[in-house]
Amino acid sequence: MDSQMLDVSLHERRRTRRLEDPEYRAAYEQAAREIAQTDAVIRALDALRIDLGVSKAELARRVNRNASSVRRLFTAGQVRPELPLIAAMADALGAELRVVPRTPQARRAVGEHPRQRRVAINA
Amino acid sequence: MPSRKRDQKVATTEHARDNGRELPWAVVYYLTPEGAAPALEFLDACPSTIDAQFTAVLDAVAAAPPPRFSGGGKWEAMHGAMGGWYEIRLTGPGREQFRLFCLLENGTSGEIAKRGLPRPAIAVITGMRKPWRTTFSDRDYKRVRDLGTEHQRNYPRRLAT
Repeated sequence: MDSQMLDVSLHERRRTRRLEDPEYRAAYEQAAREIAQTDAVIRALDALRIDLGVSKAELARRVNRNASSVRRLFTAGQVRPELPLIAAMADALGAELRVVPRTPQARRAVGEHPRQRRVAINA
Repeated sequence: MPSRKRDQKVATTEHARDNGRELPWAVVYYLTPEGAAPALEFLDACPSTIDAQFTAVLDAVAAAPPPRFSGGGKWEAMHGAMGGWYEIRLTGPGREQFRLFCLLENGTSGEIAKRGLPRPAIAVITGMRKPWRTTFSDRDYKRVRDLGTEHQRNYPRRLAT
């Protein structure tokens, strides 16, 4: 690292230390999984929109929303995306949302009891 | 001639790559002139599970920074008097509301280097909490903005290490 540069490693060091606490680790890993699912759905929709050559304004028209609400959604300008809007956009792009049970192997990997029901949402 | 906006994008991309692999942004914590780190003090005082969730959101956003969608819907661009700020919004036990206030450290590679940063970063400034169905006052938000203004005056930045 350049000697003129500041040390920016505190966040990583703090995370590593805090993850030694099992309660913290469980909450972190659960949050990371949930965030990854939401981000994957929104990004998949945006990628599909781009592949199909549909502008954000056109997509907004198809779901009866103003263009700014769709733009905000794809750029994290809006917190907590609404499921009805996500479903409407998927439909407008010729796609659908699915709830897919995790495989037993994947459930074991995240420390989930095999009988516990947990699902993932995929676009 | 390329636009300034395009120059910034290219420079930021160059700055965030290592052997062709895009590096996550750094996450840094503002330090006051008195040596306090308001955001770290806030996180340390939060329930452990809330601290963990804030960290997970910061990590997700650092890995896929704005303008991409990231943070699972918990990372939000603020508006009005707080324009230019981002907040992470979490709900804790008893529906208590937790907020972490951040600024982006992006721009050209020269601007980022002038701030003493090795790559673009999320600067975590401070946090606040409130009971459900209550609001922060204008004075609360002004306190947040004042800390951000003080942070952005520093070249290089003053960070908790």
